[in-house]
Amino acid sequence: MRKLTTALLAGLVLTAGASAALAADKTEISVARFFGACEADYGSVTDVTKANGECGIITALINKFNAESTTTVVKPEIVEWPGYDQLTARIRSGEPPVISVMHEAVISDYSSRGLLEPLDEDFAKAGVDVNDMTDAARQGVTKDGKIYAMPFDTHTWLWHINMNLFKEAGLVDEAGKPILPKNTDELFAQAEQFKEKTGKPYFISTLANETAFYTRTFDTLLYQQNVDFFADPNKVDFSSPEAKGALQLLADIYSKDLTTKNQDYAASVSSFAAGDGGVFICGTWLIDTYDQESKKDGPLANGYAVTAFPQIYPGSPRVWADGHSWVLLKQDLSDAQRASAVEFMKFLWDNNFEWARTGHLPVRKSIIDSAEFKGLPHRDDIASLAVNGTALPSAVKRQFSIQEIEGEEVGSAMRGDKSVEEALTDAETRINELLANAK
Amino acid sequence: MTDATLSPGKAVAAVKRPTGASIGPRWTNALFIAPYMVFYLALLVYPLFKGIWMSMLESDMFDDTSKFTGLANYYRLFNDKIFIGTIWNTVLFVLMTVPVFVAIGLLLALALNRSDRTSASLRAIFFGTSVLSVTIVTIIWKMMYMPGNGAIASIMRLFGLEPIAFITSSSLALPAIAVTTIWWIIGLPMMLFLAALQQIPGELYEAAALDNASRWRSFWSITLPSIRRTMLVVVIYEIVAQFQLFGQAQLLTQGGPNNASRPIVLFIYEQGFRSWNLGYAAAASEVLFLIMAVAALAQFFASRKRVEG
Amino acid sequence: MAASEHIVGRGIGNKLILLSVVLVAVIWMLPIAWTLLLSLKPNSELMISTASAFHPPYTLKNYTDIFQSSGVFRWLWNSAVVSVGVTAGILILSSLAGYGFARAEFKGRDIIFVLVLLGLAVPEQAVIIARHQMFSDLKMHNTYPAIILPGLSSAFGVFLMTQYFKAIPKDIDEAAMLDNASRFKIFWKVLLPLTVPAQATLGIFSFLGAWNDYLWPLISATKPEMFTITVGMASTQTNFAQSEGLGFLMAQAIFAGLPVFIVYLFFQKYIVRAVAGAAIN
Repeated sequence: MRKLTTALLAGLVLTAGASAALAADKTEISVARFFGACEADYGSVTDVTKANGECGIITALINKFNAESTTTVVKPEIVEWPGYDQLTARIRSGEPPVISVMHEAVISDYSSRGLLEPLDEDFAKAGVDVNDMTDAARQGVTKDGKIYAMPFDTHTWLWHINMNLFKEAGLVDEAGKPILPKNTDELFAQAEQFKEKTGKPYFISTLANETAFYTRTFDTLLYQQNVDFFADPNKVDFSSPEAKGALQLLADIYSKDLTTKNQDYAASVSSFAAGDGGVFICGTWLIDTYDQESKKDGPLANGYAVTAFPQIYPGSPRVWADGHSWVLLKQDLSDAQRASAVEFMKFLWDNNFEWARTGHLPVRKSIIDSAEFKGLPHRDDIASLAVNGTALPSAVKRQFSIQEIEGEEVGSAMRGDKSVEEALTDAETRINELLANAK
Repeated sequence: MTDATLSPGKAVAAVKRPTGASIGPRWTNALFIAPYMVFYLALLVYPLFKGIWMSMLESDMFDDTSKFTGLANYYRLFNDKIFIGTIWNTVLFVLMTVPVFVAIGLLLALALNRSDRTSASLRAIFFGTSVLSVTIVTIIWKMMYMPGNGAIASIMRLFGLEPIAFITSSSLALPAIAVTTIWWIIGLPMMLFLAALQQIPGELYEAAALDNASRWRSFWSITLPSIRRTMLVVVIYEIVAQFQLFGQAQLLTQGGPNNASRPIVLFIYEQGFRSWNLGYAAAASEVLFLIMAVAALAQFFASRKRVEG
Repeated sequence: MAASEHIVGRGIGNKLILLSVVLVAVIWMLPIAWTLLLSLKPNSELMISTASAFHPPYTLKNYTDIFQSSGVFRWLWNSAVVSVGVTAGILILSSLAGYGFARAEFKGRDIIFVLVLLGLAVPEQAVIIARHQMFSDLKMHNTYPAIILPGLSSAFGVFLMTQYFKAIPKDIDEAAMLDNASRFKIFWKVLLPLTVPAQATLGIFSFLGAWNDYLWPLISATKPEMFTITVGMASTQTNFAQSEGLGFLMAQAIFAGLPVFIVYLFFQKYIVRAVAGAAIN
């Protein structure tokens, strides 16, 4: 027992010592973020150019800020993704973090209840030129005419391609570009051809444990057919034949074994790196990770390409999009804290290029047009996304819950647990029920 | 320890005389229970009634303008396919786990009811997992179940089999959570049964051995009747405990796929903290309370009857 | 142990049974072994395939990383504070109340006891929304009291201790009363020492219950520095952690499970007895 007590005390002393090491005379602000924890690899890295991946870059950015700022210490608080349940509980408890990362799609739920601070004046004072924001970013953070967040990126849905397997399947043209489907028939033909030649499924998809793939892909397929399913922001409409067709397409991909099945996010990410399939439908943020992978020996060696979501319906090239942003939560902040918070946001704005190295689209026009950005690998291939990325109308409430429900139902139909019609009706009922009861 | 074993059965018999010390009733005696009663009233009774009141309001977590709506939340609940589904899932989960807890718990107890070192270590293994937190258990089991990365998938591929999609198929998700739960806390029923087995007088078995009774027969005619009470305790305890399923489902499957593994408590949590519908969440928790109260009452009467009879 | 064993233990059949239980135990250990293996592999290798866990090279880097960077220490400390607080609180309140309900008579006592027993039927989850609102209104979340106090309202300990005090022969305190000892003195000096086995049972159950509690800390301790180990470990198992830091995550899981497991091994004998004590037979 005494040994145990000693061990516990030793642990306590360690923790106390570590926290005492923090500088005392600077203003400390808490910043809640997801993107994972990787202090082990990046805990002391302040040179952001040496960091890779979302987790590495954000960790290094904060380190750099803490090293450079003479007035502010940022205390990062790493939360579970997406973390809104806990953020809600925390706001309700009266002790929110000073700054939190937030998807642009959910800002209005919080801003409309007066839980966020408008930032227009702060940005003007700090010298953040809001006219430099891309349209997508500016729309994403503007609610009811006020700016409620510092945009950080626009991220969209796209195709990561294993060119080595595409070659094997005969799906590479003379110019060395992947041959991609231009309509649904071609999609199935090419996918079958791929499966025949390589013995592997055409698609790798994140079908397990999260609903992001379903919602984002389904939305994209609807956008491609010009379906405006939120014409009335208080009511979703999935009754169109186009919606049925899109969902049937997903169900067919699944039932014809053209995709990996049952993989969760982690499994699908590593599965693509391991060369288990040709196309990984996922987001912008993995571009850098896979680009690094393609420089090593392995299934992706010299064989990674990325492309905007191919247009398989004749309507439009629009694609699902959202953005990460940083919000200032309403609470009793001292002037020093508020100044520190804005200082940190300005720092992120100034270093937006570094974040864009992950693969995300930057939020500043000046960066998109810069040679520096264009010089990053694969950026030409996805330049169109800056224009085509589409978010839900901002008048739609509870977007996060809606995406969750939509994803659950689309997933049920895709996996064959429900009929397409039933899933669409259920999704509609559930979402409209949610909206009818949402303030 | 042995002679002081907790035994309400005996206690009830011993306390049949009039209660109270010789000095008789005095209001100062209430001071003994007062500290507990403060917590009981403030943190159990008050929130219970506050919850019932909240369940009749239409209220948003961040909006103070809640309005009284009577039973509207309840009406909405019973027309909510998802909520009805969670009741069904929870009941199904209880039906899946409780019999297994009893069966495997008893089997392990029978096999390990010996005093050698091997049995002691084996008991330690089976009980040891119970001390892990639910979050650690789910991390471990996620890495077992995942079809791409999981251990089970790797083993199946080793034998040339197609990996099974445990937590991502709507028919296997709940059973997968059940397996995880059984792995996690089989130790308690095992220990309870062990304690019961050790109370059975050895002479009973000796007599049976003289009669040349088979192992099977002495199990049916001696062991089983002697541990009837413990059996009931295990069943009651496990029903109550498994009705409260939350962490495993939240962390392993998020209630999916197709809501196939969403339990009532997860529904309450999501309505409260994701959809911010406090009144609706409170109404759902009252339904949970009602179900469990009925179950508790039924068990209370069942146990009284059996013990007395 | 049981006098029955030499009868039940019958040669080959018995060996076979033991063998099959050993086999089951090996299967039982597999998940932990697998976690252990994963925790010894570099993250980058696991990102390609977890099958690499079956062969070397192995590394302890994931564990040394914990010492540098992880919140695990703080979370373990929080859990220790909370669990000790809950255990101490429950033991004190339940002993007092148990004695009161069993021995110290006053008007209305039996009705109150029945009302407390009814509390056994109220699951924590049924009051959790209202409780969260209460602690929010009091601005108490993210403090140790907020995580500890709700646990003290459970009626289980009171029920247990009442039964236990009732089972103690009356002559013992009656003798003390003749010596003119005060009520509290009788409780404290004479009866309480007799309840140590019950205290052990209740204490161990309360400690494990508090250590493993998840739902309440999840919504009350929302600041990372107030996370208990259970909530903290939940916050690390995000998609990101799994894809990029699988080995580290596994090392954290092993490490976080270790303290209470070691305590368990130390006190195994008592825990087994405590459980046996609760086995109402």
